[in-house]
Amino acid sequence: MRMRTTCSLLTILLIGSAFRSTEAQDPRLSNRLDAPTRKALSAIVDSARAQGIPVEPLMEKVYQGLAMGADGSRIVVAVRSLTFEMGNAHRVLGAVATTDELKAAASAVHAGVPAVELGKMKKQSGLRRSLTLPFTVLADIVSRGVPVSAATNAIKSLVGAGAKDKDISDFQRNVSVDIEQGAQPAAAAETRAKGAAPTPKADNREHE
Amino acid sequence: MPDWGRTTLELMVQELQHPVRLDESFDRRVMVRVRRSYAERRHRGIIGWLGAAASISRRPAWAAALAAGVVAVVSIGLIPHGGTKRLNTAGQAIPVQFVLVAPGAHSVAVVGDFNNWGLGDTALVAENHNGVWSVSAPVHTGVHRYAFLVNGKQWVADPTAPRAAGDDFGQPSSALVVEASTQ
Repeated sequence: MRMRTTCSLLTILLIGSAFRSTEAQDPRLSNRLDAPTRKALSAIVDSARAQGIPVEPLMEKVYQGLAMGADGSRIVVAVRSLTFEMGNAHRVLGAVATTDELKAAASAVHAGVPAVELGKMKKQSGLRRSLTLPFTVLADIVSRGVPVSAATNAIKSLVGAGAKDKDISDFQRNVSVDIEQGAQPAAAAETRAKGAAPTPKADNREHE
Repeated sequence: MPDWGRTTLELMVQELQHPVRLDESFDRRVMVRVRRSYAERRHRGIIGWLGAAASISRRPAWAAALAAGVVAVVSIGLIPHGGTKRLNTAGQAIPVQFVLVAPGAHSVAVVGDFNNWGLGDTALVAENHNGVWSVSAPVHTGVHRYAFLVNGKQWVADPTAPRAAGDDFGQPSSALVVEASTQ
């Protein structure tokens, strides 16, 4: 019993120091953030860590806010929002997801993609396939005006067809150029997805 | 059971359902063992061969343990997981070139997750080549958010890169996915 209490206290101490240890290393946090903001951020970061959410992306968001001249309350809102999105991503992607996948998935969730769709893609693609780039591209094309359902279907079809990261990167570039040239975003995504997906013939040859 | 637990289990089951692929040298290694074993038995003669065969049949527990060990080793080798991948790729820095066409700019810097959004000394200062500003820097594998800072005050997203979703601070930024060179 005593052992368990000691372990719990130790865990709380270790968890509780997540934000403060970074604060001690980087004077930007103590110099440019007021005490209430630091306290709020510390609570968010500690809560995230307790849930198993990686805290590095949260700290990066704090630094981004500082660099862009945002005030403390805006930084707190952004970090809280990111924590929520990463939590959603963590729930649907599971423990197998890397920090990068979670970051990219959180970005897609932020863009408006339902987290459950990301979970379906992860199940579809299996353990070996990293979905960092597909999720990043998904967030990008949604932010360029492609409707969420069209964007999700396009990325899902590419991942399902075994498209490589390079194919998906080319797809993103082509869709963005098409939209800049006046194409309807949904049409651009649907058309380019058909062209980017590997053909069954080429896929079979690869397995031979 | 939480959702993530079920997902993980399903993914593991799916992975284990894949056909086991052994490396090309496996057949050769098995045949070398078989030939060596056959030569030893011939050396010991027929009595020795019968003795060796009997010793296996008398110790089924050892055989089961050995089989279980082989299955475990093969299974562990076949199931990749995020943690291993992170350990293998973390720390690798890949050279990345950042380019912005800004003919009228006086200065261009690149700031992002990879340099903790540090301005001043830690920013990557681009060089001007007749209006084409560029800087190359090693960036660790992973996904990064970044932006160009033009003339020390204007934030500009990289027009050639995916957009980072959400301008939380009212400024645009871009996403960069750096993959290990071996992938």
